[in-house]
Amino acid sequence: MDLTFTPEQTAFQEELRTWFAANRPTDPPDDEDAAYQWRRQWQKTLHGAGLAGVHWPKEYGGRGATLSETAIFFEELGRAGAPLPADVLGLLLAGPTLMVWGSQEQKDRLLPTILDAEESWCQGFSEPDAGSDFGAVKTRAVKDGDDWVVTGQKVWTSGAQYAKWCMLVARTGDPAEAGGPAKHKGLTYFVLDMESPGVEVRPLVQITGSPEFNELFLDEVRIPDSAVVGGVGNGWKVALTTLMNERAGLAFFLQVRLRQQLDALVDRAAGAGGTDGVIDDPVVADKIADLHLRTEALRLLAWKGLTAIERYGQPGPEGSLGKWLWSETNQQLVEVAADVFGSEALIDGEPWAYELLRARGNSIEGGTTEIQKNIVAERVLGLPRV
Amino acid sequence: MRFELSEDQQEIQRTARELLAERSSFTQVRAAGEARREDDALWAELRDLGWPGIAVDEAHGGSGLGVIELAAIAEELGRAVAPVPFLGTALAGLVVQHDASDGDRERWLPGLASGELRGAVTLPGDAVPVPGASDEGLVVVAGADGPQLHAPGSGVAVAVDAIDPTRGHGRVTVAGAAPRDGGPGGGLDRATIVVAAELVGVLQRALEATVDYVKDRKQFGVPVGSFQAVKHEAAQMLRDVEVAKVLVANAAWVADAGDQAKLSEAAALAKAAASAAGRRVSAQAIQLHGGIGFTWEADLHWLFKRAQIDAVLLGGAGHHRQRIARYAVPRAAAAV
Repeated sequence: MDLTFTPEQTAFQEELRTWFAANRPTDPPDDEDAAYQWRRQWQKTLHGAGLAGVHWPKEYGGRGATLSETAIFFEELGRAGAPLPADVLGLLLAGPTLMVWGSQEQKDRLLPTILDAEESWCQGFSEPDAGSDFGAVKTRAVKDGDDWVVTGQKVWTSGAQYAKWCMLVARTGDPAEAGGPAKHKGLTYFVLDMESPGVEVRPLVQITGSPEFNELFLDEVRIPDSAVVGGVGNGWKVALTTLMNERAGLAFFLQVRLRQQLDALVDRAAGAGGTDGVIDDPVVADKIADLHLRTEALRLLAWKGLTAIERYGQPGPEGSLGKWLWSETNQQLVEVAADVFGSEALIDGEPWAYELLRARGNSIEGGTTEIQKNIVAERVLGLPRV
Repeated sequence: MRFELSEDQQEIQRTARELLAERSSFTQVRAAGEARREDDALWAELRDLGWPGIAVDEAHGGSGLGVIELAAIAEELGRAVAPVPFLGTALAGLVVQHDASDGDRERWLPGLASGELRGAVTLPGDAVPVPGASDEGLVVVAGADGPQLHAPGSGVAVAVDAIDPTRGHGRVTVAGAAPRDGGPGGGLDRATIVVAAELVGVLQRALEATVDYVKDRKQFGVPVGSFQAVKHEAAQMLRDVEVAKVLVANAAWVADAGDQAKLSEAAALAKAAASAAGRRVSAQAIQLHGGIGFTWEADLHWLFKRAQIDAVLLGGAGHHRQRIARYAVPRAAAAV
């Protein structure tokens, strides 16, 4: 056991703290589109300092940081109260997927504009009838000369209104296979140009009132054969690469953010801001202690997971456990906050009111809690699938 | 950052596991439990190997290793529900070494390190049956003003038949205020971490037994472990165990190599997590075994009973969460 950083890691941490202190953006604008542009500008600032793709290999313009350094980067990003870069999907999902599966031509064309925030990405995986059951994807791609003609509907596509590119999974095999035993076989992964004719993005408003995600309608959209990633019929495997990358790094950011939210909550509960020290109520104290415990466990689980990957090349159970524990803890936190802050958490437009509503999505987005439990039970504990 | 035991520490744990698989099988645990008698031959063997003194200073007859090594052994003894008076003796060693006077160290540590003298630790005013507490041993009551040491023959411990029949327990009724922090020199904190470590071992075994069982047991023509209702409970058990594990590992590391100012908080986090998991996981193990899990014939109840005692020994989850809440306040004030 050694839960300290090496001198090099400490130096990197110091470098980041100094840089974030000097470069952290001011508060975001209220307007949705302006806020996006603000985060895009932030990504450009990060890129200028070589920090947009810290985890990207040097050959692709990244810093070539180790896993631990990447974790430190996301911890410090969160600690500085700085936002995630605008194109998280490109930096964390599309980029690393293309590095594994993309053609040289695709890498040369697509990777540089992810880093410098010139072009951003969205993810076209889920469909109205294919949520947790990814193999039920029905969007069809039919070969026509050198092109594929794609028709179907995607949903929950965050950032589609800003995206130039979409990681699109469509069925190139027999449509009858959708949802059947061979459902994974006929899928193909494409890079879709969102400016193609036949692409329509419709905002989907969340319970918070803001349209963070969209519906994506594809009506006979032509995609060139050169935009297939990883080969026709190999989409399941390519998509898994994307999904495997989904939580790497982010876990550290979210864990630090959770800690900050909790600190703010505890400080208020202890009496700051006129809450009369409700932490002296043993029931409140008990809930806050449990939140503190879970938040600390999340930090340790994240680092333990990293050790497993560094030492053995594969993640332990920490990833799925972490996502599940994080979402549940964040939901608990906003509920305790609603008790501690009182009406402030129930007035439209107040930050804690937004958190109270937004947190409901945590246990659904990125794989529902029910699916995470299945993953833990089947892949970690080895319980049988039926 | 390296979140795993070192090679040497892993070797200690592996050796302990192999020895106990041989010498503390459920058949042997059952023999001890049904006779309500500790396994003297096993205890003699562990004493010869120096286990009771693993974390006692070399100057006082121990091996001078840390809480990490001691916790690794305690975890294995928990996993095996070993019917020996190890836990109380090791806990007493930690409190005497870190929180007692030089004179008391000279007087008590050599006996505790060799296992010739048995020990026990409890909190003042606590009605918990204390493992290892007897009139033949040293009874440590860790109060707000530091530890009170009650010598053998003091009459402070009264033998009781606790629900866990695999080792001896005593009731110790000494009034007084419980310590706010974990002992003047961190001895009580270290002891608390080691109880949590034993509990983690018990729970890990209960989880493994449950997973094996639900893979094997068939109803409606399929293994019951294929049902989501069962899968999700098993996943919850794993999560509870993993959360306790990382917090115990962290606390043991803080004790040996970390910032001592953070020891009390780390120990409280470890014990709160282990105690909460202790109740839930041992109960769910019985539930997922169905009817057979509730029988005397199945071996789960040895684990369940040990877990109940460990969950409350040196403070239960609620006690430690109240401590944690107090640590959270200055920490948050400094950060906000």
